Amino acid sequence: MLKIRSLNVAYGGLQALSEVSLEVEQGQFVAVVGPNGAGKSTLFKTISGTVAPLSGEILYKGRDLLAVAPGERAQLGIAHVPEGRQVFASMTVMENLEMGAYTRNGRARWGELLPMILALFPVLAERREQLAGTLSGGEQQMLAIGRGLASAPELLMLDEPSMGLAPALVDAIFERIHQIHRQHGLTILLVEQRVAEALESCDSGYVLETGRVVMRGRHDELVADPRVKRAYLGM
Amino acid sequence: METLQWFFIDFLQALAAGLLVGGTYGLMCVGLGIIFGVMRVVNFAHGDFMMLGMYLAFYMVTGFGMLTFLGPYVGPIVGAVLAGPIVFVFGWLLHRYLIARVTGARVVSAEAEGHYTQIILTLGISLILQNGGLILFGSLPISIQTPLSRESWELGPIFLNQARSVGFVIAVIFALVLYFFLGRSRLGKALRAAADNPVAAAYVGVDVDRSHRLAFGLGVGITAVAGGLIASTQTFQPYIGFDFVIVMFAGVVLGGLGSILGAFWGGLTIGLVQQMSTLVLPYQLQNTAIFVVFLLIIFFWPRGMFGRSWERT
Ligand SMILES: Nc1ncnc2c1ncn2[C@@H]1O[C@H](COP(=O)(O)OP(=O)(O)OP(=O)(O)O)[C@@H](O)[C@H]1O
Ligand SMILES: [Mg+2]
Repeated sequence: MLKIRSLNVAYGGLQALSEVSLEVEQGQFVAVVGPNGAGKSTLFKTISGTVAPLSGEILYKGRDLLAVAPGERAQLGIAHVPEGRQVFASMTVMENLEMGAYTRNGRARWGELLPMILALFPVLAERREQLAGTLSGGEQQMLAIGRGLASAPELLMLDEPSMGLAPALVDAIFERIHQIHRQHGLTILLVEQRVAEALESCDSGYVLETGRVVMRGRHDELVADPRVKRAYLGM
Repeated sequence: METLQWFFIDFLQALAAGLLVGGTYGLMCVGLGIIFGVMRVVNFAHGDFMMLGMYLAFYMVTGFGMLTFLGPYVGPIVGAVLAGPIVFVFGWLLHRYLIARVTGARVVSAEAEGHYTQIILTLGISLILQNGGLILFGSLPISIQTPLSRESWELGPIFLNQARSVGFVIAVIFALVLYFFLGRSRLGKALRAAADNPVAAAYVGVDVDRSHRLAFGLGVGITAVAGGLIASTQTFQPYIGFDFVIVMFAGVVLGGLGSILGAFWGGLTIGLVQQMSTLVLPYQLQNTAIFVVFLLIIFFWPRGMFGRSWERT
């Protein structure tokens, strides 16, 4: 579904991604893990188009994604839930969800997706008319995920959905993501600092360090790998 | 007793004049406010787009007389309203070919440098419009002279100038339509989303550059309508924009930067202050009064009277 080949991205002179290649199959759950500054968010931004690469190729369902304008990429079924609660602060919870459904698919399936999202995150239903900027951090994160789901995506990209959340809430969010993946067969690309949780649920994963893919493999291969165990799982 | 009564009537008269004038000021401020709110660009040429609206209305009504068949009452109103779409298209094209080069998603990363080029560009546009106006329209002060602009309605002891009253009503209608457009329509919500968080807006599929273009076109178009309305109430020349820039900037800051509805109240407040100040100050000092009240309000409400309430501290 998503094929990335030898992607190079730099900010000014600073190389953020070098020769990154990555593949996501339809219906898969793929995790990208790595330390701070590894380039994980940069990878996502390049996929959704807010950062332009120096070189490389991104194919989405066989189509050259780099030739598609950023605003159009969401229309193709890519939903990017950015890191750090990027909700529309001055708009209500409902308006945020409506903006999620700005895509053609999202609009067509609004009637069926809204109840699903509100069932997934009941707190959003209680706070429909509240301004998103006044929600708690955890609620904002749920809203950001809900907004992503409202676009009826085929590929859901989640950038650190657990950031800044209480452990109990993290479990709840991961549980929800699992649920979405299982029930709706959604393809998921997940970036996480919480490596244990991320690798727990994924089909396959990538380890990114200072802009390079240093390891890749299936779920069982990664959790069994001694380097991953030592560096990320604390074993 | 007698003097007190006269003062009371003067007061009501100034209040009414302030409201009427403030309505069109409010509309102008909304125009400037929507551009700042969505694009984060301070448009220094804004007063000159208002000047364009004035001349467009003038030429449609008096100059070429295209609207004379509508009569002296409806003609000036239609002329003012029509100035809107014309300047909208002009603004749209200007953004497409010029302003988009120094604004929008691509220059967000170069924030500080971006602002300098934007300031220089809008100042340049301002100079071109003023001097272009001088060449095209001449420097002679003119106005749209119709019975509408001369006559008044009497409300008890209060005189309401007809052109100003009609201008007020049209301005309020435009502001309300814009309010519902931004609040209810899909396109309006996309515009607000692009203003609120351009990166997240791009992620949900909003074309942020196009939103900016729409905001710029709408902003200058609305202000041109306000200009067209004012053209029936006072004389103007190609440099008139400068006089109004002060009013507009003060109004937008008063209303709270980024709050589009707040800009209307800000403009209305400016109109009221300006007219009420004539009760106690000489006529020439009315802009001084605006500034004093402006500074006072900024001192007590640094975020503007209608500042953003959703920002958590
Ligand atoms: N806009 C930018 N300008 C300059 N450098 C940037 C920019 N954005 C990111 N970088 C740099 O690129 C590198 C990768 O950043 P990125 O945000 O992709 O890391 P990350 O893996 O998501 O980290 P984290 O886990 O902390 O979110 C970092 O060294 C960062 O400083
Ligand atoms: Mg990151």
